[in-house]
Amino acid sequence: MSALIEKLLPEADVSDDGSFGALRRKAQKVLMQHGFPQRKTENWKYLPLGLLEKRTFSTAGPLTGPVPAPPEFPFETGIVHMHNGLLDPQRCRLPRGVAITGMLPSDIDASKLDDTSPADAFAWLNLARFDQGWKLRVEGRVEQPLAIVTSCDEDFEAAIHPRLKVELAEGAALTLLEVQHSEAAGLINGVLDLELAPKSSLVHLIDRSFGETALIQRTTARVSDAAEYRAFVLDGGGRLTRQDLMAELDAAGASASISGVAALGGRALVDYHTAIEHLLGRTSSRENFRILADDQAVGVFNGRIHIVPGADDSHSEMNTGNLLLSEDARINTKPELEIHAEDVTASHGATIGQLDDDARFYLRSRGLTDGQAIALLKYGFAAAVFDGMDAGALKEWMLERLEACL
Amino acid sequence: MLNIKNLHVAVGGEEIIKGLDLEVGSGELHAVMGPNGSGKSTLGYALAGRDGYEVTDGSVEFDGANLLDLEVEERATAGLFLALQYPVEIPGVNNAYFLRAALNAQRKAKGEEEVDSMGFLKTVREHLKALNMDEALLKRAVNEGFSGGEKKRNEIVQMAVLQPKLAILDETDSGLDIDALKLVAEGVNRLRDENRSFIVITHYQRLLEYLVPDRVHVLSDGRIAESGDRSLAHRLEREGYAFLDTAEA
Repeated sequence: MSALIEKLLPEADVSDDGSFGALRRKAQKVLMQHGFPQRKTENWKYLPLGLLEKRTFSTAGPLTGPVPAPPEFPFETGIVHMHNGLLDPQRCRLPRGVAITGMLPSDIDASKLDDTSPADAFAWLNLARFDQGWKLRVEGRVEQPLAIVTSCDEDFEAAIHPRLKVELAEGAALTLLEVQHSEAAGLINGVLDLELAPKSSLVHLIDRSFGETALIQRTTARVSDAAEYRAFVLDGGGRLTRQDLMAELDAAGASASISGVAALGGRALVDYHTAIEHLLGRTSSRENFRILADDQAVGVFNGRIHIVPGADDSHSEMNTGNLLLSEDARINTKPELEIHAEDVTASHGATIGQLDDDARFYLRSRGLTDGQAIALLKYGFAAAVFDGMDAGALKEWMLERLEACL
Repeated sequence: MLNIKNLHVAVGGEEIIKGLDLEVGSGELHAVMGPNGSGKSTLGYALAGRDGYEVTDGSVEFDGANLLDLEVEERATAGLFLALQYPVEIPGVNNAYFLRAALNAQRKAKGEEEVDSMGFLKTVREHLKALNMDEALLKRAVNEGFSGGEKKRNEIVQMAVLQPKLAILDETDSGLDIDALKLVAEGVNRLRDENRSFIVITHYQRLLEYLVPDRVHVLSDGRIAESGDRSLAHRLEREGYAFLDTAEA
């Protein structure tokens, strides 16, 4: 994978700007030592990183030309617009209770990154190469959602490494909406850290779809005492998408849920790795992830739940359902439960199936065309993932987005 | 309304319907009875156009059109409705949404204006009330978690909303208690008029106490073995299907 090192981390190009210098040097050292994952690297075996080797990435420059406006939303929302990986300050509109500042070295905790193998190479790469790091601090219960909008120019072909941290103070509450759409053949290698202080609550919605843009995203939520993290993901596919989504439940009463759907067609390749770490007892988690794969699309879901020794009285539930819509589509799904504590409940289920012919006939026998019947069945299968969302404009918007994806 | 001549239907290469003739006039209700495996449900599925039910011979004229030329949804739009013996559960698809989508798909195909949400809900609520069904069922997924009786009554609600010209009820009475059976029968009777016909497939005479048939047919080995008025149903109730063997001998 040295070709990828040359493309993404030219040695002379590693910036050493002083404040993050030590972190960047460490990151570079790990990368040079272990390189990028290969097919034999267990958690990366389904991702054809060779596709990135074939690309030429330009250097991302500052925002000079006119920046396109972020999309409109059918509800009041704050906006943080990131274009070509850089903050678009003109379009930044923060709701009351949210403040944005530049990231400091103390905001970065690299202690949990694996420095003995290529497993976390892209997170190290982000650390070595991120241009701007931003921190959002949330105080109190923020009524308005906040949208983090990612967009790129149509001819954007650079590798960018956005880095963001969202810190919720004790008792704070926020709905964070990540909206990511881009078509050009660049690479977005992002890191998002979420820190939930005691009794805080974060609803994290992700709406993304990509054309040729490759996305490699690592999201970690650290959930403290009586705090709640709820993620709802809608992925419309992309040429190469990898999402690592981790929740660390590190105090009693912490809870996390991850609900997601990937609706894939064409040559999309989407690889979701979720991990929920029950680090203390009386923690709970729930996962429900569904993939619909049509055409030659490939969908991967690896859901891991880890209950460490002593994390007694923890509860977890994982379900993954998958729908193969064509003979050439592929889905790989793996629930992984690793339980080392007593008095826990942990359940998992995984199914891969096709559209139900009985249901299809039933719908057609009531007058729906075959196309309408298929669309309705796909929608029904996928929409169930969002049952846990509170009713309201955001849920309606997510369901409309889902309908558009199918 | 419906004219079936010499119908042959094969399922998985095996012939199930073996030369069936049946004529149902406008406004008539015909009961089709018969032992297990005689081809009753196959007849319903074949008329509705289900894949795998291959018509190998014969003709079916429905309201002046060649039914066999039509796709499943075209048959529905032409006015044919099949109430399934085992209504299908469709997780994630809201019952009200589905029914309105079906109604509007039919209306659109016929060049009619689509119904708005308010008008639709008003109509469907009336039908639910008449069938003693909880309005909350509208918000649930189609047939998911419904009791057996609720599923069957939901079929009648669909029929009432879609207002077909010909409704085929495939053992809609099976699994119903006596109160639910009466409600279903009342639901059907409310829809009976000179322009709408019914084929009621049933095992038991009991339903026919509430739905008075114009004709009763006994299906045996893929053919109509006997036809008559409602007294034929009483005879079957008394004697079972054994007399068919005698008749065929």
